[in-house]
Amino acid sequence: MDGTAFLARVEQYHRDGWRLALINVTTVLPAASAAHGAPGAHGAHGAEAPAGEAPAGEAPAGEAAAVAALPMGGPGVFEIAWGFARDREFETIREQIEAGTTVPSISEFFGAAFLYENEIRELFGINVTGIGVDLKGQLYKTSTRVPFSHAAVKARLAALAAAPVKPS
Amino acid sequence: MKRTTIPFGPQHPVLPEPLVLDLILEDEKVIDAIPTIGYIHRGLEALVESVEYTEFGYVVERICGICSFMHGMGYAVAMEEIMAVEVPERARWLRLIWAEMSRIHSHLLWLGLGADAFGFENLFMHCWRTREEVLDIFEKTTGGRIIFSVNRIGGVRRDISDTELAAIVTKLQQLGASFTETARIFETDPSIRHRLSGVGILSREDAHAVDAVGPMARASGIRMDTRLTGTHLYDRLDFEPVLETAGDCLARVVVRVREISQSIDLIRQAVDRMPKAEGAPIEVKVRGLPTGEVFERLEQPRGEVVYYIKANGTKYLERFRARTPTFANIPAMIKLVKGCDLADVPNIIMTIDPCISCTER
Amino acid sequence: MANPFNLPMMGRSLRNLLSRPATRRYPSEVRPHFAGTRGTLEFDLDTCVFCGLCARRCPTVALTCSREDRFFAIEQLRCIACGVCIDLCNKDSLRMSEDAPHVHLHTGAAPGDPRPGHQEWHQQPPDGSPPVPGDAAGGTATAAV
Repeated sequence: MDGTAFLARVEQYHRDGWRLALINVTTVLPAASAAHGAPGAHGAHGAEAPAGEAPAGEAPAGEAAAVAALPMGGPGVFEIAWGFARDREFETIREQIEAGTTVPSISEFFGAAFLYENEIRELFGINVTGIGVDLKGQLYKTSTRVPFSHAAVKARLAALAAAPVKPS
Repeated sequence: MKRTTIPFGPQHPVLPEPLVLDLILEDEKVIDAIPTIGYIHRGLEALVESVEYTEFGYVVERICGICSFMHGMGYAVAMEEIMAVEVPERARWLRLIWAEMSRIHSHLLWLGLGADAFGFENLFMHCWRTREEVLDIFEKTTGGRIIFSVNRIGGVRRDISDTELAAIVTKLQQLGASFTETARIFETDPSIRHRLSGVGILSREDAHAVDAVGPMARASGIRMDTRLTGTHLYDRLDFEPVLETAGDCLARVVVRVREISQSIDLIRQAVDRMPKAEGAPIEVKVRGLPTGEVFERLEQPRGEVVYYIKANGTKYLERFRARTPTFANIPAMIKLVKGCDLADVPNIIMTIDPCISCTER
Repeated sequence: MANPFNLPMMGRSLRNLLSRPATRRYPSEVRPHFAGTRGTLEFDLDTCVFCGLCARRCPTVALTCSREDRFFAIEQLRCIACGVCIDLCNKDSLRMSEDAPHVHLHTGAAPGDPRPGHQEWHQQPPDGSPPVPGDAAGGTATAAV
C-alpha cells in the first residue's frame, strides 16, 4: 500500500470532521485452503462492490471497488478497512496487504485509533508503525499467540474439518 | 516526584467486569493509565468458522447479557441486508419496541451500579427494583429475561398482541411516573452532586477528538446518535437526542436518566404509529447462502455499535466483527483518568458505562 | 454544601421503612413464571417419529436422535432453550416447560456415571425385534438429574 497517499486521505477525513468508527481486518484465505470454502468464493473479495447495500442515508462501503485483489500465494493477504462516520454517512478506506508488511498508524489524526491498532497487531500479527499508545502486546490475553494469523486460522479450519462440531 | 504504579482491577469493588488499568500516579494524581483487557476474551469472532450463519445469531446475543437484544437485532439486520430480505413491517416495529425496552433496562442497571459506585446503595436497590418490571415485560413477551432468542434472520419469532402492547405502554408509563422520584434524586441530591459534579470533564472538542460515542458524547454536547439516521423505523418517530453540555460525570448520569423517559415515550409513539395488524406476518423465510459484506450501525444503550459481516457464499461467514460502544469509549476513559485524583477513578470508569464483555467478545 | 436539609431520598427511605418488603421470601415464596417462558425442554416419546430434524438444526448440538435405534437424548446442560426444535417439530413431541431447569451438580459423579443433565429415551421397535436392554413395556426413559 502507498503509505503517504493513504495518510493524506486519512488526514482529509480528519479535516472534514469525520470520526473513526472502526478498523477491521479480515484474514483472507485462498478458497482452496478454506475448509468450508465453496469453489470460486474468493472472487468476491475486494474485486466487486458489496452486494449488501447499507441502509438508506448511509453510503455503502463503496471503496472496495477501488482495491485490486492481491494475487494469492506468498505468506497470505489481509484486508484492512478503516471506517469513518459522520452523522448519516459511513465511508471506508480499503487496503489489501501481504502478511509481514507494515501499516502506518493513524493515531496522529484519530487519537482513538491506538486501541484498534494494538488489537490488530495482537490478534492478526500486523505490524503497525507509530502507534500513539503502544500497549506492548498486553491488550488481550489469548491462548493462541496470534489467533487470526493465516497459520492459526488454517489450523483451526483443518481441525474443524477433521472433527466437525455438528454430526452431519 | 516519585511515581507509583497501582493496578486497578481486575477485581475491584466498583467493577462488575474485569478491566485492568495500570494507574501511574504522582502523589494522588493519575498521570497515565494503561488498559489491559482480555480477561474475558472468548474469541466469539472466531466462532464464525464453526457456527453456521443461521445459528450464529445465538452466539452474537451472548456477546453481552445487557445488550443481548441489540446484538441479536444488529446481526439479524445486517444479514438481512446482505441477503436482500424484506422484513415485514410489524417485525421491524416489534424490534424497535424491544430495542427501546432494552435501553431502559440497561440504563436502569447502570444507574444502579453507578449509585453503588459512589456509595448510594439505597438508590442502587431502587433502580434495580424498577428494572425488574422491565425484565418481567421481556419475559412475558419473549420468553427470556436476559437472552431473548427472539431475533431471526428474516424477522422476529414472537408477536405481541395489540392489547398486550397497549398494556405494556400503560405499564411503562406507570414505571416512568414512579421513576421521576428516583430521577429527581439523581439530579438534585447534594451528596451525588458533590461527588460527581465537575469530576472527569470531557469537553466537546475532546469528545470529538477521542471519538466518544453514545451518552458519553451526548453528555459533552455532541448531537450524535445513530437513531438520528432514521434507520430501523426511527424516521417515523419524533426523536431528538438528550443533550447535556457540562461533560462531567453528573452530566453523563443525567443523560441516562432522561433517556429512560425518552425511551418510554418512543415506545408509546411506536405503539401509536404502528399499524394495528395483529396476526400480520412477522417473519419471512430466508433461503440460500449469503454473499457480500455489510457495515451496520445501531444505537445501543451504551452508544453506537458497528458490525462488519463478510459472507462468501458458504454456510459459514468469513468475518464477523462487532465494534462495541465501550471499545470506542475506552480512549475517552483513559483521557479522563489522566490528571484526575485516584479517588475519582472509580466514578469516571463507571460513568462511561463500561461493558467489558462487549469490548472483548 | 448548600442546604443541609435538601435530602430528596429521605421521603422514599421513610416510606420504605413503613412498607412491606419489595422482595419475595424465596424459596418459600416462588415467583410464578409467565406463560411462554422458555424454561426446560421436555420430550414426549409417544408422538416422536424420530425424523431427526430437531437434532440436525439444534444450534448447540444438545439433541441426539437415531431412527435405527429408536433413540432420543437431550443434553440439558447444552440446551440454550432457544426453542428452534419446538418450532421445527411437526409432531409436537417437544415442548418447553416454564419451570427453570433443574440445577445439575457434578459432585460425587464417578467415571462412567451418566453425564449430569443427560436424559435419554429408548422406544421398543415396532417390528418385534429384540427390545433394548432394560426396556420395559413400550419404552423407557432414563434421566440422570
